[in-house]
Amino acid sequence: MYSRLLARLLSWTLRLDVAINRVYPEDFNPLYYTGGLSNLFLTVLVLSGIFLFLYYIPSFNDAYASVQFITLQVPYGQIIRGVHRYSADAFMIAILLHFFRNWFTDRFRFSRDEPWISGMMLLLFSGFLGVTGYVLVWDERSQLLVAMTGRTLAAVPGVGGWLQSMWQGSSGISNLLLPRMLYLHVGLAVLLYILLWWHYVRIRHPKVWPPAVWTLFSLGLIFLLTGLVPTLSQPPAHPESVPRTLTVDWFFLLPYVGLTVLSPLVLIALAVVITVYGLYIPYELPETPAALGIRDSGIAQVVDANCTGCELCYYDCPYNAIVMAPSPHPGVTKAAQARKLLAIVLESRCVECGICIGACPFEALELPRLLERDVQEQVVAACRA
Amino acid sequence: MNTSPASDREARYGTGIMVLALVSLAAVLAIAWGEVAGHRLVAGGAVGVILLAYSFILLFLRKGGFTGV
Repeated sequence: MYSRLLARLLSWTLRLDVAINRVYPEDFNPLYYTGGLSNLFLTVLVLSGIFLFLYYIPSFNDAYASVQFITLQVPYGQIIRGVHRYSADAFMIAILLHFFRNWFTDRFRFSRDEPWISGMMLLLFSGFLGVTGYVLVWDERSQLLVAMTGRTLAAVPGVGGWLQSMWQGSSGISNLLLPRMLYLHVGLAVLLYILLWWHYVRIRHPKVWPPAVWTLFSLGLIFLLTGLVPTLSQPPAHPESVPRTLTVDWFFLLPYVGLTVLSPLVLIALAVVITVYGLYIPYELPETPAALGIRDSGIAQVVDANCTGCELCYYDCPYNAIVMAPSPHPGVTKAAQARKLLAIVLESRCVECGICIGACPFEALELPRLLERDVQEQVVAACRA
Repeated sequence: MNTSPASDREARYGTGIMVLALVSLAAVLAIAWGEVAGHRLVAGGAVGVILLAYSFILLFLRKGGFTGV
């Protein structure tokens, strides 16, 4: 049932690709660059965030006024604030598109489990980062968010009180709240880059940036939105009374809408189930090559005598499973005698795909259980059949 | 006169590029006016219009066969 659903979703995703490729040149298809677009928006967020950070004052008395000062007094402050706000929404949209596309196209199996797990964490932390950003403005929405989050955390059995005071800085609202939020906002942004490193480390040729067409389009749309729908604060927070109505940002504050129909404990349980399931996705179906009907070719082996150290396999391996080391001795063949480098396969990273075999013009790599002569025999047998 | 599909395509996208270039010019004037008149939201929005126009110019250059493969 689940496999059939995934197969159907894969088919729809590919049809969407084909439809977009009819309008755009193939290398401009935005769905191929959802990761790069996320990176672009994160970069815009960091740059605009540094600008806002220079003016922001994290205290109850001054936070709202400093945001108003940025918006109304600082030249182009409202534009930069708007760019920060709309880039955050665009960042979430790009991450979600990236998430669903990789899920529906099965790009989470075998060695892709690490990008998947790190990607899930990037999604979770980005969502939390957005909430802390809304709190920093310290308007009525911020106050309501702090109260709703505190109440939800307090519902966790056993450690609820501790979690609530960790979130707020004390059991009630205290002066520690906004410095804490600022630290979480900036600190988590740094953490995103560490997670990004983990996200990329196993990918040889990640598309970290979209093509110029989409970079210009995305930035243009953000600036245009900033001009058309300016970002404004709500009325300032009043600690003596908590507002009752939440103005929702659907990309960051959706869980808070859930609190209107679910109890805090049920919402937390739901969030935990969704998160655990998300992390479990790469391991859900049988992963053994035999169970998936994939050939078991064995880890790629370097034929020392033939390797010329040309690095073609190193550049072509999509899984960073080949490193080039200084060669301890010359090779045997004429082309390999003057080599300075020798290819080495990292067994833990090799997925036995055979791409390196195709990349090597010197027959210096082989899959031990799928030798070239075996392939030729299979091709001949298939042709005869 | 060459009326092949390729030259039709070039003419169509070339016209689009010219229109977008004019839109960009108008946006530049809007930026200048926004700065002088103190309407900085207009200036910011006009920056967006320029970037959007440039993105479509790049796309039309490619689709019209002026650049790329």
